[in-house]
Amino acid sequence: MNKKKAKLSLETKHNLTGWAFLLPAAILIFVFCFYPMLQAIILSFSKKGTGGVSTFAGLANYSRILKDKTFQQCLFNTVFYFIIQVPVMLILALGLAQLLNNPKIKGKGIFRTLIFLPCATSLVSYSMIFKSLFATDGLVNNVISAIGLTPVDWFQNSWAARFVIIIALVWRWTGYNMVFYLAGLQNIDYSVYEASYIDGATPFQQFTRITIPLLRPTILLTAIMSTSGTLQLFDESVNLTAGGPGKSTMTLAHYIYNISFVETPKFNYAAALSVFILVSVAVLSAIQMKVGDKRD
Amino acid sequence: MTKFKTILSYIVLVLASFLSAFPLYYMFCGATNTSIDIVRGRLLPGTHLAENFRTLLSNQNLGLAMYNSFRNAIVITVVTLLVCSIAGYGFEIYHDKGKDILMSILLLAMMLPFVAIMIPLFKMFSSWKLVNTWIALALPSISTPFMIMLFRQAARSFPHDIIEAARLEGLSEIKIFFKMFIPVMKSTYGAAMTVTFMNAWNNYLWPTIILQDKNQLTMPMLVANLKSGYSVDYGMLMLGVLICTLPTAIIFLCLQKSFANGITGAVK
Amino acid sequence: MKKKLVGALLVAAMTVTTLAGCGGTKDNTPAAGSDAGEKTENSTEAASDEGTADGDETLTVWCWDPTFNVYAMQQAEAMYQKDHPNFKLDIQEKVYTDIEQSLITAAEAGNYDTLPDIFLMQDNSFSKNATNYPELFTDLTDSGIDFDQFSGGKLADSTVDGAHYGIPFDNGATIMAIRSDMVEKAGLTVEDFKDTTWSEFMELAQKVVDANGVPMLTSSGGSEIVIEMLQSAGASPMVDGKVNLVDNAALKAAINVYKELIETGIMIDYTDWDQYIASMNDGKAAGVIQGCWIMSSIQAAEDQSGKWAIVNMPRLDDIDGATNYANCGGASWAVSSNCKNTDLAFDFLNSTFGTSVELYDELLPNAGVIASYLPAGESEAYNATSEFYGGQTVYKDIVEFAGKVPGINYGAYYNDIRSALTDAITNVVQNGADIDEEIQNAQDTVEFNISE
Repeated sequence: MNKKKAKLSLETKHNLTGWAFLLPAAILIFVFCFYPMLQAIILSFSKKGTGGVSTFAGLANYSRILKDKTFQQCLFNTVFYFIIQVPVMLILALGLAQLLNNPKIKGKGIFRTLIFLPCATSLVSYSMIFKSLFATDGLVNNVISAIGLTPVDWFQNSWAARFVIIIALVWRWTGYNMVFYLAGLQNIDYSVYEASYIDGATPFQQFTRITIPLLRPTILLTAIMSTSGTLQLFDESVNLTAGGPGKSTMTLAHYIYNISFVETPKFNYAAALSVFILVSVAVLSAIQMKVGDKRD
Repeated sequence: MTKFKTILSYIVLVLASFLSAFPLYYMFCGATNTSIDIVRGRLLPGTHLAENFRTLLSNQNLGLAMYNSFRNAIVITVVTLLVCSIAGYGFEIYHDKGKDILMSILLLAMMLPFVAIMIPLFKMFSSWKLVNTWIALALPSISTPFMIMLFRQAARSFPHDIIEAARLEGLSEIKIFFKMFIPVMKSTYGAAMTVTFMNAWNNYLWPTIILQDKNQLTMPMLVANLKSGYSVDYGMLMLGVLICTLPTAIIFLCLQKSFANGITGAVK
Repeated sequence: MKKKLVGALLVAAMTVTTLAGCGGTKDNTPAAGSDAGEKTENSTEAASDEGTADGDETLTVWCWDPTFNVYAMQQAEAMYQKDHPNFKLDIQEKVYTDIEQSLITAAEAGNYDTLPDIFLMQDNSFSKNATNYPELFTDLTDSGIDFDQFSGGKLADSTVDGAHYGIPFDNGATIMAIRSDMVEKAGLTVEDFKDTTWSEFMELAQKVVDANGVPMLTSSGGSEIVIEMLQSAGASPMVDGKVNLVDNAALKAAINVYKELIETGIMIDYTDWDQYIASMNDGKAAGVIQGCWIMSSIQAAEDQSGKWAIVNMPRLDDIDGATNYANCGGASWAVSSNCKNTDLAFDFLNSTFGTSVELYDELLPNAGVIASYLPAGESEAYNATSEFYGGQTVYKDIVEFAGKVPGINYGAYYNDIRSALTDAITNVVQNGADIDEEIQNAQDTVEFNISE
C-alpha cells in the first residue's frame, strides 16, 4: 500500500469500495434495462409516420389512454388483483413461515419443499390443472354441490373468473414468498420468542410484536416485488382465462402484449401504456419505501 | 395449550402441503397415462410411463434441451449471486445518501413490463451479432434490482462488529465480504440461489426472442412445443412438464436446509 | 451439503463456459441424456449463416406441429432430395405465437438476419402482417407457382393488394362432425343433417338432445362459431376499408342463433380447449362445428370408430348469399425477405407443395393433412373411405366443401374484430345485454383500435 492511498480518509476509502462493489450490477442494469427503457419512453412520445420514420407525437399516445375502454377494464382488473391478492398472499406466507420456524415441528424439510412446489411447477401444467379443477363439472364444483351449495360457472362469470385468478396467484406464489421470510427469520434468535412466551404473549402478539417488526426489511422487499409482479401480471391472464369471459379478467400487461403482437400493432401506444405501469408501480413502491425502509 | 397449538400447526401445514403438492401428483398421473385417459380425467397412476417417454424422446430433443437449460440456468445463477450479493453488500454496508438514491433508481428497472423493452433489447444484441448466443440470453437476466435488494436487506442484519473486528485484523474489504459475509449469510444465499435458478430455468419470453436456433432449445420451449400441435398428446406433455419441474424441486429440496435451519444465533 | 453444491455448480459453470467459448456455433446434437459431455463441432456454421456460400443448398424453415406441418416439410424435403442430392432443410419447431412474435420483433427492430427462409403462417394473420410489415415477405406472384390450382377462399387470405404472399397448405374447411349413433337413437339419419338451415337444424338437434341427454354441439367459446356463420354468408366485417358490423344483417342473425343454441341447451360452451376436446372424446356432446383439422382430435377416441359422420354446417335463415360452407384456420407457406437463395426456395416449394399430388397423397393418410391444392382432391387417396367415419369418403367431401366457401374480407383486422365480437357475444349470452347495443360497442372498439 503506498503512501498516497493511506492518506485518503478511511471513510472515503470505504465509500469508494462501496461504489466499486455495486458498480458491475449497476452498469448491467443501466445498459440492459435503462437504455432500452429510455427508448421505450421515446417511443411513447412518437408516432409511426410514412416509410417507418418516427415523428414526434407529443402526448397523443397518452391522451389516447383516457379514451380507451379496454384499457379501463384491464386497469380495473389489475388493481382488483393487486388489492386482494398481495395482502392475502403475504400474510399467508408470513404465517406459514412462522409455523415452520418453530423448532418443535418435525418434518419441516418436507413441508417446506411441498409448499414451495407450486412456483416451481411450469406454467403449462399449472394452468391445465386449474382449468380442470374449476371446470363446470370439475373437482371444485363437485365439492361445492356435495356440501349443498350451487355450483359456480367459474370461467363464464366475470367475478368468479377473477377469483380463480386470485386463488391461482396465491397458490402459486405463497410458498415463494415464504422462502424469503424463512431466510429472514433465521436472523431472529428463537429465544426471543421463548422469552415472550414466558412473559405471557399470545402467538398473535408474538406475530405482530416480534415477527413483523424484525422481518420489516424482508416484508418491504416482498411487498415491492409483489406489487410490481401483480401490476405486470401476464401469465395467468393469458394461460388461465385468456382474458375472458370477454375481457373481464384481462390484465394490463396482457393488453399491452395484444396490441403489440396479436391485434393491429400499435407499439407507440403500447409503450405509453408500459410507461403508465412504470409510473404506477414506482409511486406505490415509493410509498412502501417511505413506510418500510428505515434503519434503526 | 402448547400441545393443542402444535397439533393445530400440523393440521395447517398438512393442509397447505396437500394443496401445494396436488399438481405434482396430477403431473405424475398424467405422465403415466395415455392421452385419452388424461382427457377423460383419470386421476390414478397408469402404466404408460415408458411409452410416453419413448414418444417424448422420438418427438423432441430432450437431451439437448436439458443440456441447454442446465447450462443457462447454472451460468446465470452463479454470476447473478456473485454480482448481486456484492452489490447488495456494497449498498448496505457502505450506505450513504447517494447509494440509497441509486438503489431506488435501480428499482425502477423491475417496474416496466418486459414487453416494452424486448424490442430495443433485441435490436441491441442483433447489432452486436449476439443473437442465438447464450451470452445474449444471460446478460439481461444477471443483474436484477430484486436480487440486489434481497442482499441489501439481508446485509442490514449483518453485525458491524464483525466487520470492525476483521478490519482490525487487517483483512481487506473484499476479503471481509468473501470470508465473513458469505458464510454468515448462508440462508440468504440459499434462498437467492433457489429463486434465481428457478427463474432462469423457467424463463420463456426472452429466450423465444433471442434464441431462434433449434440448437438453443430450452426445456420450457420444449414443453411449449408439446402443446402447440392441432392435437396434443397429453401423456407426453405431462411427462415433459414433470421432467421440466423436477430440477427446481430437487434443488430446493437440497438447499432448503441451508436457508431454514442455518443457526446464525450469533446475530444480535 | 450447500458448499458441495455451490462447488459443483461453479465447476459445472466453468466447464460450460470454456466449452461454449471455444465452440462457436454448435451444429451437432448431443446424445440424449449426456449433459456435460457434449462435443462441439467448429467446422460448420450452417444453421445461422445459411445460403450464402456457393453450392450450399440449405433452407431454414419455421413451423410448429411435429405430426403435421413439420412432418409435411420433412416429406417434401425427402422428395426434393431425389433430384437435388445436396438439398437440405433445417426445420425449426416453434410455437406459432412465437413465430409471429419473432417476425414482428425482427420487423420492428429492422433486423431481418435472424429470419428463416421459409415460414408457415396462419391464414388469419397474413393480411395483418403483410399490410403492416410488407418488408418481412418475398412477393410470390412471379415465383412460377400456379396459384389458380388452389382453393380460392383460402388463397384470398394470403393475397394482399393483389400480391401473393403465401402458398396455401392445409385445408381449414368447416365441417359439422356428428355422432351417427346418437342421431340414430333419436330416430334420425345423418342424411337429415345435410344442407340444413339453422332453424331446421335446431328442430332436429332438439330431438337428439332429448334422446341422448347431451347437447347436440360442443363449442370452444362464442366468437369462433359466430365468425364461421358470418363467413358462411360471405358477410364481410370490413367493406371498402370501413368497419361493417352495425349494419351487418348476417352478424345479428348469427349472434341470435348462437344465443338460442346456448339457451335451448343444444350447444354447450367450454372456455377451456382441453375440456372442449374432452367433451367430444367423452360423448358429452353429439357433435361439433369446427375447421376440419379437428378430426385428428376426434379420432383420438379410437373406441368411437364408426360412430361419427361428417356433414356441412347449417346456413343462416333468410340471409342473402347464405351457404353451408365456411373456413376456420389453416396456414400457408411464406418466403421471408431474408431468403438469399429465392430461386431455390421457389423451385423447392413449386415442385413439392405447388405441384406434387404425390406429396399430398402421402400426407393425407400419414399426417391427416387435407390439401387445399385442388388437383390433389381428385387422386385415389382422396376417394378412400374412412372406417372411423362409418365408411364415408370424408376427404373427398371436405375438399368439395372447401371449394364452395364464400370469400370474406377482414382487411388487416381479423384479430381486432374477433376480440371485439367475443366481448359482444359474452355480454349478450352471459349478461343478457342488448344485441344491437353490443354490436355498436364492438364497432366502436374496432374503430378505436384501428384508428391512428
